[in-house]
Amino acid sequence: MKTSQKWVAFGMMALLCNVAVWRLTADNQPLPTLLDVYPPDIKLQSSRASQALVVCVTDPDGITHDVSNSAKISTDPKLAKIDGHIISPVSDGTGSVKVEFNGMTASVPLETKDATVNPPVSFKLDVMPVFMRSGCNTGACHGSARGKDGFHLSLFGYDPDGDYFRLTRELSGRRLNLALPAESLLLQKATGSVAHTGGKRFDKDSDLYKTLLHWIEAGAPSDSDGIPSPTALDILPKQILLEGENTTQQMTVRAHYSDGSVRDVTPLTVFLSNNDSTAKVSPAGLVTSGQRGEAFVMARFATFTVGAEAVVIPKDLQFQFPAVHEVNYIDKAIDDKLRRLRIAPSAICSDEEFLRRVYIDTIGLLPTVAEHDSFMTSTDTGKRAKLVDELLARPEFVDLWVMKMSELLEIRSSTENNTVSYKAALLYFDWLKERLSNNVPINEVVRQIVSASGGTFVNPPANFYAEETDSLKLAENCAQSFLGIRVQCAQCHNHPFDQWTMSDYRGFVGFFTQIGRKKAEDPRETIVYNNGEGESKHPVTDQPVRPHFLGGIAPDVAGKDRRQVLADWLASPDNPWFSKHFANIIWAQFFGRGIIEPVDDVRVSNPPANSELIDELGQKLVEYQYDFKKLIRDICTSNTYQLSSITNETNEADTRNFSHSSIRRLRAEVMLDCISEVTGTRDKFRGLPLGARAVQIADGHESSYFLKTFGRASRDTVCTCEVAMDPNLSQALHLLNGDTVQRKIVNGALVKKMVDQQKTDPQILDDLYVRCFGRKPTDEERKNLEPLLASNLASENAKPPSESPAAMPTASAQPSPDPQLQASNNTDERQKHLEDLLWALLNSKEFMFNH
Amino acid sequence: MKAKLIHAGVLFCGWLLCFTPLLRAASPSVSSIEPQGAQRGAETDITFTGERLQDAKGVLFYGKGVEVTGFEVVDDKHAKAKLKIAPDSPLGENQLRVWTATGISELHMFYIDPYPEVTEVEPNDDPAHAQPISLNVTVSGTITNEDVDCFSVEAKKGQRITAEVEGIRLGITLFDPWLGILKKDGSMLASCDDSSLLLQDPIVSIIAPEDGTYIIQLRDSTYAGSDKCKYRLHVGTFPQPSVVYPPGGPAGEELTLHFLGDVSGPIEKKITIPALENGVSKTMSLFAEQDGFSAPAGNPVRVSPFPNVLEVKPNNDIAHATKTDLPLPLAFNGIIAEKGDTGFFRFKAKKNETYDFRVYARALRSPIDSVLSIYDGQGKQLASNDDSGGPDSYLRFKIPADGEYCLSVTDQIKRGGPEFTYRVEVTPVQPELVLSMPQPVKDSQERETVVVPRGNRYGTVLRAKRSDFDGPLAVASNDLPPGMSMQVVTLPGNPDTIPVVFEATADAAVAGKTSQITLAPVDTAKKAPGRFEHIVELVTGDNNVYYQTSVDKLAVAVAQEAPFKLHIVEPKVPMVQNGSMDLKVAVERANGFTGPVEISMLYNPPGVSSQNSVKIPEGQNEGSIPLNAAGDAQPSKWQIAVIGSGDAGKGAVWVSSSIAQLEVSQPFVTAKIERGYVEQGQSATVTCKLTQNKPFQGNAKIQLLNLPNKVTAQDMEITSTDQEVQFPITADKGSSTTQRKDLFCLLTIIQDGEPIVHNIAQGGMLRVAKAVDKK
Repeated sequence: MKTSQKWVAFGMMALLCNVAVWRLTADNQPLPTLLDVYPPDIKLQSSRASQALVVCVTDPDGITHDVSNSAKISTDPKLAKIDGHIISPVSDGTGSVKVEFNGMTASVPLETKDATVNPPVSFKLDVMPVFMRSGCNTGACHGSARGKDGFHLSLFGYDPDGDYFRLTRELSGRRLNLALPAESLLLQKATGSVAHTGGKRFDKDSDLYKTLLHWIEAGAPSDSDGIPSPTALDILPKQILLEGENTTQQMTVRAHYSDGSVRDVTPLTVFLSNNDSTAKVSPAGLVTSGQRGEAFVMARFATFTVGAEAVVIPKDLQFQFPAVHEVNYIDKAIDDKLRRLRIAPSAICSDEEFLRRVYIDTIGLLPTVAEHDSFMTSTDTGKRAKLVDELLARPEFVDLWVMKMSELLEIRSSTENNTVSYKAALLYFDWLKERLSNNVPINEVVRQIVSASGGTFVNPPANFYAEETDSLKLAENCAQSFLGIRVQCAQCHNHPFDQWTMSDYRGFVGFFTQIGRKKAEDPRETIVYNNGEGESKHPVTDQPVRPHFLGGIAPDVAGKDRRQVLADWLASPDNPWFSKHFANIIWAQFFGRGIIEPVDDVRVSNPPANSELIDELGQKLVEYQYDFKKLIRDICTSNTYQLSSITNETNEADTRNFSHSSIRRLRAEVMLDCISEVTGTRDKFRGLPLGARAVQIADGHESSYFLKTFGRASRDTVCTCEVAMDPNLSQALHLLNGDTVQRKIVNGALVKKMVDQQKTDPQILDDLYVRCFGRKPTDEERKNLEPLLASNLASENAKPPSESPAAMPTASAQPSPDPQLQASNNTDERQKHLEDLLWALLNSKEFMFNH
Repeated sequence: MKAKLIHAGVLFCGWLLCFTPLLRAASPSVSSIEPQGAQRGAETDITFTGERLQDAKGVLFYGKGVEVTGFEVVDDKHAKAKLKIAPDSPLGENQLRVWTATGISELHMFYIDPYPEVTEVEPNDDPAHAQPISLNVTVSGTITNEDVDCFSVEAKKGQRITAEVEGIRLGITLFDPWLGILKKDGSMLASCDDSSLLLQDPIVSIIAPEDGTYIIQLRDSTYAGSDKCKYRLHVGTFPQPSVVYPPGGPAGEELTLHFLGDVSGPIEKKITIPALENGVSKTMSLFAEQDGFSAPAGNPVRVSPFPNVLEVKPNNDIAHATKTDLPLPLAFNGIIAEKGDTGFFRFKAKKNETYDFRVYARALRSPIDSVLSIYDGQGKQLASNDDSGGPDSYLRFKIPADGEYCLSVTDQIKRGGPEFTYRVEVTPVQPELVLSMPQPVKDSQERETVVVPRGNRYGTVLRAKRSDFDGPLAVASNDLPPGMSMQVVTLPGNPDTIPVVFEATADAAVAGKTSQITLAPVDTAKKAPGRFEHIVELVTGDNNVYYQTSVDKLAVAVAQEAPFKLHIVEPKVPMVQNGSMDLKVAVERANGFTGPVEISMLYNPPGVSSQNSVKIPEGQNEGSIPLNAAGDAQPSKWQIAVIGSGDAGKGAVWVSSSIAQLEVSQPFVTAKIERGYVEQGQSATVTCKLTQNKPFQGNAKIQLLNLPNKVTAQDMEITSTDQEVQFPITADKGSSTTQRKDLFCLLTIIQDGEPIVHNIAQGGMLRVAKAVDKK
């Protein structure tokens, strides 16, 4: 493991080992400096082939340095020649390339083939990438649906045959001038020698120009059948850690082809960074560091997008990762990433903070005063884990997840065309609730939904196919709900920021093209069945596309219900996305954001905040046989979940690495349920008994003004974005001036009961604080509130609640300036002012947020 | 509409004081019946609640076995009847209407039950407050909004407890009941939302696991409910199977039937299938019985004049098809006993014979959603059908050659089970005639009866459906109330819909009854069974019909005099294709009645349209209904009638005119406008070429219409010999430059003093151009 020979064996291995280096660093073990060479092997095929080497040094503290230009690179000159760090073939054979730097050496195997053969320029392999690299076929330019300035190319090159036709046949002799190739409009426009709206795209002496010119000179031939096609793309190095601003790192991109060949496509690649201020990437793939932070550097070539993680830390940063106790794999993965980022996690939160947080996240309710007192007085060191187990066993836990799953499944009645009746929606909801209550594994639930046939009353999951009847939409919904993948873009063109092609899209749609639907005898019920007819056609070729799973495997569907085949794949442990996606949804419930965020936008260009963690969570969910309670137990008992929301100076800017607890507004249903719980009132929703909770509402289209204002999902789409979590003015105004809070305070008569029970002011204060915040008032709050209550009690014209300040009581409650005012004995007045206090607590940020 | 009527009522208040004798009620409305059923063999009182019941006279039952032994009006909103239910009265649904001196109410369902009735007593919302009841009773109650009703029964171990409810079948509202049987501690033993036999109405049944108290829980399946959600809940030890196998048999023969689906297992019963009156297969209802306790709901069973073929398992592939040597027609019977099962039968047939292959499965309440296929003897599929106007399959198949054929039945989504029975009746093509009444008002029972005021007329529309029959049909009735007659009606080959007018003599006695209406070929040599079938939609909503019933008789009544009569002033001239006409209607008012009358066409001949409703204002005696004929209106002499309503203080009273004739003919003249041109501020002529199709007398006025703004044309006159007409036109200076492509001519020929209005020469073009500077 410590020999550099091993380090250069495989890029991926190097990556994994680097992770190990940092771990060891944490344990203060001395570590060697590492030398990595990318790519890990060199294959050169044809006289035009070349490969630029990237040489990296990794310091013991994980910082990477690009030494490509200063490393000494050598090889057998009979086999290949070296120009700087670029290798090109001389003759056919095998050998190795030696790299030396500062006394460290590495060797990379080299294979050359057809070294003297100069193959013809291929339209698909050579010319098409020029259009992508130069931006010709983007949506803003000729890739637009109507083209640009009379010239249309397929968006991101999804239709090479169409592009060939348009170039060579559409305006014969104009775009390409075979007699005078250099006079071709294509070249003149691209080099800016004639007016071009898109300006100059490349120079006459560039390789891009030469490729096009050579192709035209050769007569602009089309490709022969059976030319290889790209099958995979690598960007290397996969992880870099740059120190200080203006440090650079060259990236290299290699394409793999269906004939087994590889090619250095760095010059033909489009590079992008998702965070230019941290890591900017040049068109040539040179990453330059900026401010401290994380970035994802992406490379796009052909239909592929791949990415590498870039971390930038300030120069000469003094940082010591604190000694932390890691409870489980979650903490390990989080801490590893934080070490890399030089971020120290927050301290562990208090018992009271944990209690309130875990109640809200797990069962959507606040702890009662008795529950609070019991937990706080317990001296059991394992009481947090015990509490988690207790909460997971409560029926409210199931209610919360039935609600969340109902959003993914769009459980709602639909009056439009009477497609889903209220009864059908209710039965669907009840079916889901019954499954989750009985701990049916989540993959099994999805399997039953996707393969559902029959009447929507008799077999409620068939509603999945009644709510949505468009096969394209169904495929999109299925990918988004169950895999977190948005394939919508690929309906019309290859996905520009992900791997999905139009064929992938249409192949996935193919699972949904044979669904028959008819009205049952009860007109409110729809019967879903496999009608065995219908294919998904490719819009370019107009040919049926064989159904295939995302990722390429085309299963045998002959004579089968295609949805059953799909359901089995979705729910299979071999599915690379399903378990990770559900693990991520579960994670997001407890942290306010997913490891991939948004949770339903899994794509290459939206990398996970912690890929090791999401992989492991997905793996665990499979190991737990999709029992999501077990995963939640892991999460809630981890230190990561139990971190305080109070930040330190290293993690105050961190929003995505879970170095501290995030402060999250309660979602609409939970907020209403908590207000009802605190005020001791009962709500009435359609079809539910008095006192039912808002999370139990079956139909997405059932709502109230309160729930709408606070962003309850109407479940019209599968998008998780339907649940609005952002606080806004109308929410604040509704709490302040709307009838919900005030009415509930009056109707619940909570304060009256306490007053009737002869409780003292401090007792009532304690009770109200525990109910609302899960904690008792601080001494300061107590001190501030007591005279305020006394002064208010004495006042004849107490302010109406709507005029009271809405901020947290600590901020709003000030001691009365007039010491002469005495507390009134009037019980009604006392009750009124204590109710005002409850109103203020309910309007405080501390109540509205989980922290 | 309601608001309008109330308004009219208020307007009349002043008149009523002076003309009290004219206070005439309209048809009554019954909103509820309490109770909506009775025990067989019992005598019972029922109360009708509704509107305009002050002159109620009696109850019309459609089914047998109910005798009305007393009837009493309580007030204008209530009436009572005393019923005697015959001990041999058929169990199950019956239908009734209340009739009054001025009309007939809506149809309501009424159930004859085997068990005595008890009434629900609230509070009974949870098992702890369950209302104790004995076994084998019928509970009549209501599920109000989010209401749950619980009843407790005592049962011995091994005893069957069955609960079955008439909810939606009471035909009041979309009430979708749910039933559960619970232990006393609230734990659920069985529950049911919908049932294959009774649709939205559930059946739930258990064998009591121990001696003790059991709770029957009833609610709406979505926790809805209202005062309209009434129910009749049967709780007892009775069986309630869901299907019968075989699902039918040959008339007059003894057959062993297996009632399937009861919680206690199959119930075997040997019966003699009744004979058929006219040789046409029919469906009857059989009620399972065990230990002297009868199921409250019957199971439908087919009676056919041809033999049964019962499947011999295994017959789930063509090689093992159940084979018969019997000649067609036959009924093939089987059960799709397990998932994915298919039932195959092999039979012989002769070349060129055509047969109807009709599956009776869902029609007999089997859960199967059939797919029927026909194969040749080698197993090559020749035809297949899934649904045919419902889940049951149907194929008409012409035998291509003498030989063996196979048929198969399977479930469309490959389900199966012991109750998935089916029957395929293979019969030669037989004509069938069905007469029905199209619903006059959507989602309403309004005017689905015939109420004829004495000395007046009332019209309705009837529709004949001919299956495998061509030729004119005759509609008749020979059991109308004394003094009432129907204008003898024949239906030509086409169309299928005709107006029918009933008339009552001035001295006819006020009467109400359900009358037989017959439909038969005019050519008596042709044999085609005809029947009257009136579908009454009882529960509707969201463009759906949730529950309906059908009756084979028409409810008719002779009512008190109406305050007005209607007469069509029969047109002397035809109406032409693309033409229009104002149909004149006269109102003959009774002394003292001056109120407005709303009139409309009872029926529009094909291609003719009319204004929906025309109001003849207060005090006026004539009105006209604008009619238009489309270009493709069929030239013929059509029978028409006009209906109208007027309010004499107690709601709308409807009468009709007698049948009159309306001739639709081809236009006398057709024309084509030649392309015209005029400059702003100039005059020009537009030429219209005429084609004379039929001579007319004298001069006819012709107008050029749809001209651009500020362009005018002079009206012209033509004679029957003119070949063209030239319209002088003038374009004002201020007219806008335009090109108009929709000019036409209005030609009015006067014949016998009446206008024949033609819209001709559509699509004429005129360009209005800028004035050309002549300098």
